Amino acid sequence: MAELVVKDVALRLGDNEILKGVSLTVPAGEVVALLGPSGSGKTTLLRAIAGLETPHAGSIAIGNTLFFDAARGVELPAEERGLGLVFQSYALWPHRTVFDNVAYGLKLRGVPAAETKARVEKTLSQIGLGHLAARFPHQLSGGQQQRVAIARALVYEPPVILLDEPLSNLDAKLREEARAWLRTLIVTLGLSAIHVTHDQVEAMAIADRIVLLDAGIIAQEGPPTALYNEPVTLFSAEFMGSNNRLEGKLLESSGGRATIELFGERLIGASRIRGSAGAKATGIIRIERVRCASGPGPNRVKMQLKTSMYLGERWELVFARDTLTIRAYASAPLEPGEHFIEFPAEALWLF
Amino acid sequence: MPIVAYRLLVLGLTTLAVVAPLSLVIYQSFLTAPFFDPSAKAGLLAYSFVLADSDFWQAFWTTIAIAGGMAIIAVPLGALLAFLMVRTDVPGRQYLEPLILIPIFVSAVVIAFGYVVAIGPVGILSTMAKDILGFVPWNLYSLLALIVIAGLTHVPHVYLYSAAALRGLSTDLEEAARVSGANPFRVALNVSLPMILPAILFAGVLVFFLGFELFGLPLVLGDPQDVLVLSTYLYKLTNKLGVPSYQLMAVVVVAIIAVTAPLVFMQRLLLRQAQRYVSVRGKGLKTQPLRLHGWRWIAFGAIAFWLFVTVVVPLSGITLRSFVVTWGEGVKLRDVLTLDHYRELTDYPNVIRGIINTLGIGVIGGAVSVACYTAIALAVHRWNSGWTRLVDYLVMVPRAMPGLVAGLALLWVFLFVPFLSPLKSTMFSIWLAYSIVWLAYGMRLVSGTLLQVAPELEEAARTAGADDLRTKRDVTVPLIKYGMLASWLLIFLIFVREYSTGIYLLGPGTEVIGSLLVSLWGTGAVDLVSALSVVNVVMIGVGLAVAVRLGVRLHG
Repeated sequence: MAELVVKDVALRLGDNEILKGVSLTVPAGEVVALLGPSGSGKTTLLRAIAGLETPHAGSIAIGNTLFFDAARGVELPAEERGLGLVFQSYALWPHRTVFDNVAYGLKLRGVPAAETKARVEKTLSQIGLGHLAARFPHQLSGGQQQRVAIARALVYEPPVILLDEPLSNLDAKLREEARAWLRTLIVTLGLSAIHVTHDQVEAMAIADRIVLLDAGIIAQEGPPTALYNEPVTLFSAEFMGSNNRLEGKLLESSGGRATIELFGERLIGASRIRGSAGAKATGIIRIERVRCASGPGPNRVKMQLKTSMYLGERWELVFARDTLTIRAYASAPLEPGEHFIEFPAEALWLF
Repeated sequence: MPIVAYRLLVLGLTTLAVVAPLSLVIYQSFLTAPFFDPSAKAGLLAYSFVLADSDFWQAFWTTIAIAGGMAIIAVPLGALLAFLMVRTDVPGRQYLEPLILIPIFVSAVVIAFGYVVAIGPVGILSTMAKDILGFVPWNLYSLLALIVIAGLTHVPHVYLYSAAALRGLSTDLEEAARVSGANPFRVALNVSLPMILPAILFAGVLVFFLGFELFGLPLVLGDPQDVLVLSTYLYKLTNKLGVPSYQLMAVVVVAIIAVTAPLVFMQRLLLRQAQRYVSVRGKGLKTQPLRLHGWRWIAFGAIAFWLFVTVVVPLSGITLRSFVVTWGEGVKLRDVLTLDHYRELTDYPNVIRGIINTLGIGVIGGAVSVACYTAIALAVHRWNSGWTRLVDYLVMVPRAMPGLVAGLALLWVFLFVPFLSPLKSTMFSIWLAYSIVWLAYGMRLVSGTLLQVAPELEEAARTAGADDLRTKRDVTVPLIKYGMLASWLLIFLIFVREYSTGIYLLGPGTEVIGSLLVSLWGTGAVDLVSALSVVNVVMIGVGLAVAVRLGVRLHG
């Protein structure tokens, strides 16, 4: 198996600039999640790799096979790229049985009937649907259809399998089970995969590496822990996790740390700032990192408790002061009134 | 075969089939004699002759009057009918729907014959009325009667588009108005009607356009009074000068197309406008139909009366006439009943051939046509290219040619192109003419089904390794199988009904019921015409029954 290399791909749909120069490398055996809000171009990038959309710039290649190169005018049609693609809607052919759906790719490759049968049966049993081969897609549940779609993309052993939001059509409970099942399947079979999703938890759970897209460019890429714990841009900080956002005035910034002023208090945090003192600065902190303290101290601000909500495993508290609202978690409800809220310096990112 | 070759081939053949007849007509109109005449020279002689002919202008203005009158009658009635059927609790709505569409599927000449034998001067109903009242309270052979009949028989066209628009209207919009305090009639007036206005406007232009295509009704009903419209003027021109006057006919054809082509273009624009409104779709919940209370049965009575006048009167008239020896004042039905007319049908070999040919063109020809339409639709399906627009316009071109005109143009093509001449007197010529005339309709049927194929189903095949053509064969075509079957049934109905397209191509071997009826009517063989008309209606009735039974939507 070889690595997939996407270089400076730009793509327009009508007047809409969807991808504005995206580069990406997927080594053999790695699972990459393309993550981003809707309209960020993640599905378009996947379709461009599959050969279903034509970029106007850049190149796409796998190993020594050039799929696409705008400069050299090379464009391999989708059917000659030999990739596996799982559609969001599954796109199972309603006029074919499960077996025939899965077998089609092998039939196109001229695999003899006996071998086709063996390979389809093997793939179907790998995904746990060996007994449903004779059914038609409409006779299957959503989860089963999703597995058939994956089997169809896997059966001819593509170098990379492309998954376009494959879990989004399942209901919430089933989705979590399918997530674990899919990760296990991909790792067991040693596949290279590109998984498109708008769900950050799904991306972190499934992928070895996350590529976060924002409006057609890569905002940040790296392992899930890096994306969650070390965001480099305001966008990636806000996109991952659940956050509080505070606006303050920058006092000083040096050596990776910065200080801002909020309600007359000095707050110290990890600096990603390019501006100079006196400018506006934005602080981002994950909800779960906000602490409620008993009294004044460094990086603490006095705020009014507005609402306490019971969420089952914990309480969510909403504090307010002027126009600022801060959400925090606690293991027990708090008394109404004023409290001190601490923003730990190592968890507060300043932009 | 690579997809590019396939596309080029299909596009080329379509262009040829559409453009060749039209360009031959235009070429002929600028000649001073028929194109086969060695003395033919380029010139505007034919134009000056036709444009100086007062009969031509008489026919032109009569056509405008009829087309306008039809629209004035059909549009309000059709829209009202749609509102009653879609939004109110008129009794028996589900049974009325197929009945309402009958006038679309029955041949206009058959309806015209039906009116003549039912309410003509010595018609069956006329003599009854005379027995009771002492006089006949109507005059079938007048321009007014022609306009009223043409208007009433085109109500279903308006109904179809208005009803589709009403059904597509989001019920939320109406419910929002109800909740805001509007009563049902205000809702209809302030919300529903403005929303479907583009569809009604489109239907109005369509009916006006169909007025220019009218041939059977004015031929049969206008003739005794010498009322000529453009199409009948063209038809009479054939015999007017004694010698083939192709150049004059070509000029008339150009004149007709000069009017219809802009109308076709206008319809296209209006349809797009109308569809923009329909795209706001509701949640598919069935809303409570509007309760009409005491008006229920009055509304039902009005619909029944319209059905009686446009369907029952002509069809029962022609049926009754086909079973009696003669009809006139003082004739007792019991004395004149007979089956002889049907027996006589078998005495005429051309009639027998006509019936067989009609079945053949409907069943086999229809299937081949649907295959061709599918081939064209597949060629442009998912083709991301400006060429698809060309196909859109190509398909529109034959729409501007009424059947009579297209048949004439095809005849000339067969005469003009040496290696095609032997095919002129075979059913191939009829099939080609029919397929070209109904190209736009057939393409709309097939494209409608293709639209329902989700693009991912085809993309999935592409990524699995199938090339473009293979994908079409393995995925697209199997998925539209039922849609193609439904299209075949509808094309069958259209081809069996068709009469005007085959008129100029009529000859030994190319008889079809429709064109035979027109030519037999000219010889005054009323007995034969009645029996043959009933045969035609029965064929269409069987087709319609199958379509309704299979749940085929009767409109594209």
